[in-house]
Amino acid sequence: MYSVRRVEQWARDPGLTARMLLVLFGLSFLYVFFVGTLIWSGVDAVTVLVIALVLAMVQIFLAEPLALASVGARILKPGELPWLQEMVERTAALAGVPRVRVGIAETRVPNAFAMGKSLRSATVVVTRGLLDLLNKEELEAVIAHEIAHIRNRDVLVMTIAGFFVVVAQLVFRFLLWGGGGRSQRDRRGGIAVVFLVSLLVWLIGQLLLLALSRYREFVADRMAGILTGRPLALASALLKISGQVERIPEKDLREVQEMAAFFIVPPLRRESLMALFSTHPPVQERIRRLEALQRQLEGLA
Amino acid sequence: MKRLLDILLGRAARPVPARHEGLIAIGTAAVTMEAQLGLKPEPVAGLVFKPVESVYFERAKEELDGLLQIAVRETESRYRFWSDPYRYRWVIVEDPDFEDLVATLHSASQILIEHGFGSQLLAAVFRFSDRTGEPFYWIYQFKLGKFTPFAPRKGRTRDEAQELRLVALLERELPVERRPEHWYALWDLPF
Repeated sequence: MYSVRRVEQWARDPGLTARMLLVLFGLSFLYVFFVGTLIWSGVDAVTVLVIALVLAMVQIFLAEPLALASVGARILKPGELPWLQEMVERTAALAGVPRVRVGIAETRVPNAFAMGKSLRSATVVVTRGLLDLLNKEELEAVIAHEIAHIRNRDVLVMTIAGFFVVVAQLVFRFLLWGGGGRSQRDRRGGIAVVFLVSLLVWLIGQLLLLALSRYREFVADRMAGILTGRPLALASALLKISGQVERIPEKDLREVQEMAAFFIVPPLRRESLMALFSTHPPVQERIRRLEALQRQLEGLA
Repeated sequence: MKRLLDILLGRAARPVPARHEGLIAIGTAAVTMEAQLGLKPEPVAGLVFKPVESVYFERAKEELDGLLQIAVRETESRYRFWSDPYRYRWVIVEDPDFEDLVATLHSASQILIEHGFGSQLLAAVFRFSDRTGEPFYWIYQFKLGKFTPFAPRKGRTRDEAQELRLVALLERELPVERRPEHWYALWDLPF
């Protein structure tokens, strides 16, 4: 039976996919270069990698309880805020995701984030400020955005993609504080090379990771727009959240700084920073893309 | 390998196509449920989907409306549209003949799928009542292509024992989803 692949077409964004592929190639190249240098220099590369691997595993497995604790969030009990739980349930069912837990953080900062290394252990956390600020449609759009993150395994992908950046950072810091010793093995001036290379890999890798993170935000926005059938509900949510975030004193936000990568809008003032150094794309750019999606839905694109 | 690539390139969150072929099985399962378990199928069922703000979706809805009007003329059925508080649209069909009811809902879902909006289909819901009048719903989830049980009781509680029981009993006749993490609720149903 003939059927149109309309929604599937809307979901496509070849430009973004190509850019993501490019970033991933860049990261892989950087990492091969880095590991090659480690091995060449005679630094005990195996030990370094094993330590880093253990750290990454710990991060992946402890990310959820740590993240929950760091923003003071707790999982909702059955029957607590039933409309919110049902809204999340329905959005998850529409996206074909099994049971998603819902958490709440008692903070005035309006925000939301997703956690969980797999589809089976996913959690969406919203803050009290978000519930107060948004209407139900906007809230649903934000939840759909987070569920798209869950389906794309964004936390896991970013952790794994960032693995060698963390290693490079560790090596750099270790050498900076005089580690590595003046051992017999360092005949080729290897330590100095490793020092510079790890600094380079750390910085460039970080920029690539941030780009990847921004692209994945665009993807999540698009999927949320399609799933809720109303891209501009997300646009208006983004406007409200970003406006609110800017008005709140920074002091309150410092504690949530580390969670920035998972938030729907980073809770920091970033006007002075270049977009290059941001985990999230500027709100204007995200809204522009959501508007383009709406035009596409109406057959005007 | 393709899955891995999809995850890496952020394509894993794309809309999930609907599977509606399993829906028909409720017709025969209803006979078993009434004859052997004393659960009477109610002459009312609903199809629930998430509307899209799109001209293409409006066209699909017009065709859906046309189909339902024809169905009403041919059988003794009635239908109405309803929007729930979560902004999902419902088509609620009433028909004394359960087989006709299933067929109407099946062709209604078919229309949305043909127009390319299968991913917006959430569920088809069928109500059964036991001898004391307590409801039991089979929820057909289009993303899974399977039925999940839902036995709501007073105060937003569920009769989980009843749900487990019916999944076990009807496993052979109905494509049921055995993993309970997919057993989503649909509270405050209008029928």
